Amino acid sequence: MKKLITPAFLMVVVILALAELTARVFFAQDISGRFAYGYDPQAGFAEQQDGTVKLFRAGGRRFHPQSFKRQCPPDTYRIFVVGDSVPRGPSFKTAYPWFLGVALQQQQHFRVESINLALPGYGARRCQVVLQKALEFEPSLIIMHVNDTNKWEDEREWRRSQEFQGWHPSHWLMKVFIFRRLYEAKLEKVFWPLVPDQIRLKHAVSDADAQVAASKDPEEIAARIRLARETMVENVALVRRHQVPLLLISQCRLEKDDGQPPQLTDHGLDAMCAALTGPGVYHLSMREVFNGPDFASYFADSGHLKSQGHQLLAEAISRKILGERANFGLPGVKVAAGQ
Amino acid sequence: MSFISWQYLLFLPCIFILYWTLSGRKRLLLLLAASYWFYAGWDVRFLALVLSTTVIDFLCGLSLDGKRTAPVTALLLSLTPAAWTGVCYLFLPAAGISPGVMGLAAALGLIFFGIHESLWAFAGEGRRRGFLILSICFCLAILAFFKYFGFFVQSARTLLETAGLHTDPVLLKIILPVGISFYTFQSLGYVIDIYRGVAPACRSFVTFAAFDAFFPQMVSGPIERGQQLIPQLEADHSFKPSYLQDGLSMILVGFFKKVFVADNCAVLANYAFDPATHLNGYWAVLGVVAFAFQIYGDFSGYTDMARGSAKLLGIDLVENFRFPYLAQNPSDFWSRWHISLSNWFRDYLYIPLGGNRGGRWQTLRNLGVTMLLAGLWHGASWIFVLWGAYHGALLIAYRFPPLNLLSGRDDRFSWRSWLALPLMWVFILVGWAMFRSADLPQLGSWFGALGHWQAALDLPWKSSCLWLLLHTVPLILLQLLTLKYRDETGVRHLPWPVKGTVYLLLLLLVVSSSEQDKEFIYFQF
Repeated sequence: MKKLITPAFLMVVVILALAELTARVFFAQDISGRFAYGYDPQAGFAEQQDGTVKLFRAGGRRFHPQSFKRQCPPDTYRIFVVGDSVPRGPSFKTAYPWFLGVALQQQQHFRVESINLALPGYGARRCQVVLQKALEFEPSLIIMHVNDTNKWEDEREWRRSQEFQGWHPSHWLMKVFIFRRLYEAKLEKVFWPLVPDQIRLKHAVSDADAQVAASKDPEEIAARIRLARETMVENVALVRRHQVPLLLISQCRLEKDDGQPPQLTDHGLDAMCAALTGPGVYHLSMREVFNGPDFASYFADSGHLKSQGHQLLAEAISRKILGERANFGLPGVKVAAGQ
Repeated sequence: MSFISWQYLLFLPCIFILYWTLSGRKRLLLLLAASYWFYAGWDVRFLALVLSTTVIDFLCGLSLDGKRTAPVTALLLSLTPAAWTGVCYLFLPAAGISPGVMGLAAALGLIFFGIHESLWAFAGEGRRRGFLILSICFCLAILAFFKYFGFFVQSARTLLETAGLHTDPVLLKIILPVGISFYTFQSLGYVIDIYRGVAPACRSFVTFAAFDAFFPQMVSGPIERGQQLIPQLEADHSFKPSYLQDGLSMILVGFFKKVFVADNCAVLANYAFDPATHLNGYWAVLGVVAFAFQIYGDFSGYTDMARGSAKLLGIDLVENFRFPYLAQNPSDFWSRWHISLSNWFRDYLYIPLGGNRGGRWQTLRNLGVTMLLAGLWHGASWIFVLWGAYHGALLIAYRFPPLNLLSGRDDRFSWRSWLALPLMWVFILVGWAMFRSADLPQLGSWFGALGHWQAALDLPWKSSCLWLLLHTVPLILLQLLTLKYRDETGVRHLPWPVKGTVYLLLLLLVVSSSEQDKEFIYFQF
């Protein structure tokens, strides 16, 4: 037995075991919910004993680090923005939830907390998990950014989370946290940036490729919209039950056909959101907000906004809230400026 | 079952434990059962073909050695493949075996048995030659039918239609059995060696069947010789820790080459050689370089895994690759690339044709014929014939000035190497462009793209270049590290801290790319 275990083998095993152990002991919080693939209700929310809730990056939930009190302080208007990579923004302070907080704070004499709960790659289903959690923290307003691009990822991650609960040998390797992390890091940081979409599409066997393929399949697009609609109906009902105002922001996309000027399209999301409006549920169309002469300059790509785009959208949301302050439940009690 | 499937990662440890628990004949029976199980993982029906080759060459081998098998035993063995089709028909309906196929298998078995028995009526060298021809004809007929029938029928049809003659399409669709070229050539080599008197016939059917179907190398080589592998199978050796250490080391290197290098390079190669892709010069070069690393990583990775798996069982398989991209001339390349096949063609075709014993033109003819057939061995397509002819032409060209000045098998780096290496690399790449092209028009497009260097293609090639570098530089570094051992899996000879570090890095690189099961390129041959 002694001869079987060589120093080199031992070295590999010890290093891997230590790395895994270190990750699991010292970075336990960071990996919480890792294998739930975004369906863990708690991942990314650290509720501390003093009543503070900290948002951190965990289990594939890449929240911008933020903190707030579990109970909404008096005289505070608390907004949670739930959505995907669009509202998450290029950075925390260049995304519209931040600009919205600043804009409202400048206009009003009460405290505004605008908390960005948006997560890249999250579709309607996983946003619902985040929304359920957000409703526990006494929101004054929920802003849901409605998009249709991430159904495929939602489904894939749901399938993965279900498969991972079993002990099929094909998942043994990825049960090791450091292996899983390495695989994901390579996929996200190397494969996606370096290999062009067209090649990934032709290579259509991996998740990433299938995702690209799905994004170009008209049937997939139609299915996405159906799912987004169904899930949104559930979300609206959920928020209504909690008697919290809900503002739906419908995503629009910048689409360029060969030789044609770029156009803004909403994939039917505007109509869908408009149909869901009613008491306590309001709607703002991104397509209407950006329907100016220079709309293309606000977009970083077909869906994501540049900082100026986020600012423009935040101003539009701010105008909408202030214009319908009674509907959005803005507090009437004023506090001294500077507080 | 593929080496890079989770099934194999469970299968191999089970066989390893059982193998070293058992001994003698039980061990051989285990190997045989494991090998058939392994092969049946692809297609259970084609075990009948494996059995056919095994029975034909076992009986012919014994007869060549002057040992007559009892007619009843010979008859029963001859009907084994038909019996297997019967088992499939009765118990495995999903295999789709019809009574017609069973009948055909039985008829062929009876024909073989009849010819085999009647050859005993002859005497001396004539009888021996008869058994050799019987073995070669039957084995090559199976290979020709399953691998080349469609190709020749289609080619004949095209030729007739070119001449203005109408032909009815042949609607026979034949599935290519995995590894048929490998196990057929291994089995044929065994019979030819007995005929030449360089190896004795194997007396035990179980041993011979285990040799013919030895799972680590059955579907993609290396192509073994009977006198090298059979004694190792028969030896009742006991376990040594080095078997485990060396075996695992080879398997890890193989995994690295296949999963990290080949599969990632394939992403670019598949795109560049997709008929729908409009290539420019950058992508033509990038695609063929990616394919060069893909095919090398794929095939040599398979070989390393095969050798590692066999090593776990205490069995040494022959070396199949020795840093082929460091070859300085075509002859050097073929002594480094798919060595077991090169040696097979040298020993069983080139030398019997006369080798270089005749005049210069005879040698050139022999080289040309050998390489044409080596090309055709790779696949039933004119593109492979062209590839073989191209390599034949290279071998010939290097015998004349000025290229003959670059010939030599000097492993040391000299002034000549600085010219010979890059030139040979270019020749190899052109060869791979032929090999990878689906047909002649696509090959023409590839050559045409080399004349267009405008960045007309909006696909970014620089980031793809970086992707290629990321997946080839670790391989190059690994090879530099093991070059002095003249062994591609020579990592195991390094000092333990270096070895441990290399193992860790290889493991992490493999895991980072462990996407899913992907087939090996050479399975199709």
